[in-house]
Amino acid sequence: MNSLLEQFLSEARDVLQGIGDKLMQLENAPDDAGLMTELFRLVHTLKGNSGLFDFPEMTRVLHAGEDLMDAVRNGRVAYSRILADRLLEAMDFVGLLCEEIEAGQGETARHAAASVHLVKGLRELIASDEPAESSPPAAAASVAELAEDFPDLALDRLPEAARMDAYRRACAGASLHWLVYRPSEQCFYQGDDPFFQVRQTPDLLWGGIEARDPWPPLAELDAYCCLLDFCLLTAAPRAALEEQYRYVADQVTFTPVSRFALVLPQGDTNGGPVYDDFATDARNLLAAGDLAGLARNAGTMLELSSPDLWIASALRWLRLVLESEPDNRAVLGALVESLNSLTTPDWRAAGWVERGETHHADAAIAHSPSQVATASSKPAQPDQASAAADQPSADDGFRSALPILPSDAAAALTAIVATQREILALSDQPVWLSGRISAAAAALSGCLRAAGAADALPELDAAVARALAEERGDALLAWLDDWFPLDGLADAGLKANIPVQPAMPVTPTDTQPAPAPATQPEPDSELKFGRRAEDAIAGPKSLKVDQAKIDRLMNLIGEMVVAKNALPYLAGRAEAVFGVRELSRDIKGHYAVINRIAEEMQDAIMQVRMMPVSFVFQRFPRLVRDISRKLGKEVNLVLEGEDTEADKNIIEALADPLMHIVRNSLDHGIESPEVRRAAGKPATGTLTISAAQESDRVLIEIRDDGKGIDPGVIKRKAYAKGLIDETLLERISDQEAVNLVFAAGFSTAEQVSDLSGRGVGMDVVRNAVEKVNGTVSLTSECGRGTRLRLSLPLSMAVTNVMIVVSDGQRFGVPMDSVVETVRVRRAAIRTIKRSLTTVLRGRIVPLKSINDLLGLDAAPQVNGDDELAVLVVRLGDESVGLLVDDFRETQDIILKPMTGVLGGLSAYAGSALMGDGSVLMVLNVKEMLS
Amino acid sequence: MTIEFKRNLAVLRDMVTVEEAEGLLEWLQKKPTAKVDLGACVHLHAANLQVLMAAKPVIQVWPADAALRLWLESALTI
Amino acid sequence: MKRILIVDDAATVRLYHREILEAANFTVEEAMNGIEGLEKTLRSPFDLYLVDINMPKLDGYGFLRELRGLDLPQAPAIMISTEAEASDARLAYAAGANLYLIKPVRPNQLLIQVRLLLGEVCP
Repeated sequence: MNSLLEQFLSEARDVLQGIGDKLMQLENAPDDAGLMTELFRLVHTLKGNSGLFDFPEMTRVLHAGEDLMDAVRNGRVAYSRILADRLLEAMDFVGLLCEEIEAGQGETARHAAASVHLVKGLRELIASDEPAESSPPAAAASVAELAEDFPDLALDRLPEAARMDAYRRACAGASLHWLVYRPSEQCFYQGDDPFFQVRQTPDLLWGGIEARDPWPPLAELDAYCCLLDFCLLTAAPRAALEEQYRYVADQVTFTPVSRFALVLPQGDTNGGPVYDDFATDARNLLAAGDLAGLARNAGTMLELSSPDLWIASALRWLRLVLESEPDNRAVLGALVESLNSLTTPDWRAAGWVERGETHHADAAIAHSPSQVATASSKPAQPDQASAAADQPSADDGFRSALPILPSDAAAALTAIVATQREILALSDQPVWLSGRISAAAAALSGCLRAAGAADALPELDAAVARALAEERGDALLAWLDDWFPLDGLADAGLKANIPVQPAMPVTPTDTQPAPAPATQPEPDSELKFGRRAEDAIAGPKSLKVDQAKIDRLMNLIGEMVVAKNALPYLAGRAEAVFGVRELSRDIKGHYAVINRIAEEMQDAIMQVRMMPVSFVFQRFPRLVRDISRKLGKEVNLVLEGEDTEADKNIIEALADPLMHIVRNSLDHGIESPEVRRAAGKPATGTLTISAAQESDRVLIEIRDDGKGIDPGVIKRKAYAKGLIDETLLERISDQEAVNLVFAAGFSTAEQVSDLSGRGVGMDVVRNAVEKVNGTVSLTSECGRGTRLRLSLPLSMAVTNVMIVVSDGQRFGVPMDSVVETVRVRRAAIRTIKRSLTTVLRGRIVPLKSINDLLGLDAAPQVNGDDELAVLVVRLGDESVGLLVDDFRETQDIILKPMTGVLGGLSAYAGSALMGDGSVLMVLNVKEMLS
Repeated sequence: MTIEFKRNLAVLRDMVTVEEAEGLLEWLQKKPTAKVDLGACVHLHAANLQVLMAAKPVIQVWPADAALRLWLESALTI
Repeated sequence: MKRILIVDDAATVRLYHREILEAANFTVEEAMNGIEGLEKTLRSPFDLYLVDINMPKLDGYGFLRELRGLDLPQAPAIMISTEAEASDARLAYAAGANLYLIKPVRPNQLLIQVRLLLGEVCP
């Protein structure tokens, strides 16, 4: 992916998010003109960006969105919920396209129909300003109307030969389409050549060009207002047609054509040979299956008839059908009957021709980014093969360029001069007039030098001086008339406004001509402008850094922390083994310094990884809006503390649980407006999501003023599901009962809704939160609301672990679950109910062998004193002793979650790279013991 | 320039571009009896085409390019 | 080397123009809106300006008016817009633009115009 496309996708993501945010804000402040302008600008920016690439579907939708927002901004269309809905839908579509492009699926043409539909929805709002409740009825009506208007597509205007050719193609299996292309009136300004476009139509069988309206008198004709309509018959597959016309999909209709609709005898119905029995004979021959005889008779009849007669035409069709599909007796029969009656067979009444469904009947005038681009990508284009060298690769969705005409520079110069003439002729007198005149003079001076007419410069300078003195452009205009006489430039000024050549970007590095070698020296300019080299260095204040680079830094600092930890050991050796106490002290002193630097570095990198919770929060306004509307509830969402920061991993881990909690709250917590009113509450419920930092934890609180949780209901449910027994049912406190919602397999939903149902309960939330060392607690007041509190570590990047050894392997155990390390004499270990236990400080502690838990086939080893090493860990309120072979030091490590297949091993919390290059597996004590 | 304006005859050659349409229209407005020679023309931009369709000049030579000729004959002889 | 200032709020468009111009050996600086553009200009004027219309804080028209009002050597400015209406072009000229182009501008075409305005011979 090239950097421009990458930049586009990155900016598109930001802009789409911005559009979503602005729309949400507008819901609450629909009259805020500032917001509206901002929103317009965002859509406008995105559209401008997409126009740099070959994404016509995206550009088309964004263009409609831009027009709509422009209308809203100018007060022509009122802001409404439907408008917001459609705009959001359109932006979702753009987001989807961006994702596909990012995934390398650059081929967006298959979304053409969807884009046209969205465009229609958006443009309807501009057109009517009385948004219908939903778009389908209106759209369906217009399609139906068009189909009515298209009863027979006027196929009889096609010459018989063309129709017969098409008929043969259809018999051979091709699908026929009637295509009507009504280019927008402004299409020439957008670089389109509709005539070229239709000439490139694949498998073209016939084409016609018509004036849309009767031609105006020639004196009033505007050559650049497209008034042409094109109709074509083609045998190309539908997909090929959509591809060919993808840039103008909104100006094109396709109608499938049955081959029988082409069987239309034409000609003079008067006269012809008198052969009354022909029809009778033909009928009999057909009934007898004597097709050869029928063909012979038809041939004879045809020879006797003048070719211009209707009957001759019908006979030719009869012969063609006999050749092409002799088994189709019904059609042959109908033709024979029509020969008898001298009337065209009514194929539709006979059911042979279904009413064609017309597609893409979008009459709205919409933007079409240059369709010449499509044309130029077709190999069949004449006269342009020679320009192949000029054509950039079509990678990454870039449009390819048309050849540059050698006269381009001359034409551009003429246009620039004409534009300066127009500027100098302006009659207003703004305060910046002299600057404007100077700038025009600078432009003209550039043109002169570029054209090699430097000798004209003194005269120009004199004219500029006069013009500036007079404070009007006349002197310069006079000079212009001398140097660039007006003849032959009559329309150049107009042309300068019109991008006559489609302006098409390409990958610059591929196509740039070599830098101008003949740059004329300008000795003065360096001094005159007084520029300094350092001006060029001013860069942006913030950087977007690839996640992988930060990860690498994290790994490196992890290694550094570990390597640094070797120094005290080194100091010990220096003293104990080599007896150099002074060196030992120096090493320790240095260790202190390196330790401090390492810690600060670690902290600094942590800071880089910190991101605000708004990253997760920002999607809630839209989510809450969509869900509450679906459920028919009124919800006011309040977000607090969005600036609170936490480590990226934490923030990301927060997304799903939070989403689930919010859905639960909307689904089960907040009541419908009627219920709320009946309970004496405001109809609109309030859902508050707040974040705050408390020492080294982030606290997230989600509270609603909904119906709360009824402990009685929970208790009964839990009992019914066998989660608690009868004694517990009696004894359990209300708070304990409420906490039962976190139990696995508990779901409070009366009926599974499609939002938070699906059997996923709060236990999933709890597990997800606990995975990142977080806790979740819930309090609820029946009838008043529910409050969920998540407490999460600010950072999960550095974990302090104790290293233990078992069966010759090293394992890490997170220090926050370690209670103590003890050595227990083998004699002090008892077996109670086939489980090993020992007594520590008066409490019975169950013992588990780590080897057993990990499936290692080895017995715990004792030391020289016949003692076993027991690592006592906390498991909820209990303590459990883990039997290991030996303890080692504690260390700070950078814990990396297990990925891939290993991710399924719940016994491990992750792995860490050690200073010596080995990998330490870190145990997940809770999972391992459960 | 792909259009050569003779006394009463406009000769269109090769690919006639969109920029030519304005000039062609002005010329045809001035010369209602003008004729057009399309013999060496392989394509003309739709803007030129509609100028010809609206002005209906006599076509002195049809394009040698058969496909273009088919299109133009149907468009310019109605 | 000639210095060109791109004033546009869309990073993608800035990059697009930058790549075109830098490939042709121009020195390019960027500004995200009219205010930033003026700040950079005041520090050191440029040889050419590429100016977008719709920007926050100070739009392209505003930027040009301010630029033309500055007591500095004036350099040509190209206004680049997505609006294809001629009235916009007239507004642009009145504000002080010397050329009005419609996005997206084909690289070769942009370079031709830029070289002409800067007095460089087109290769």
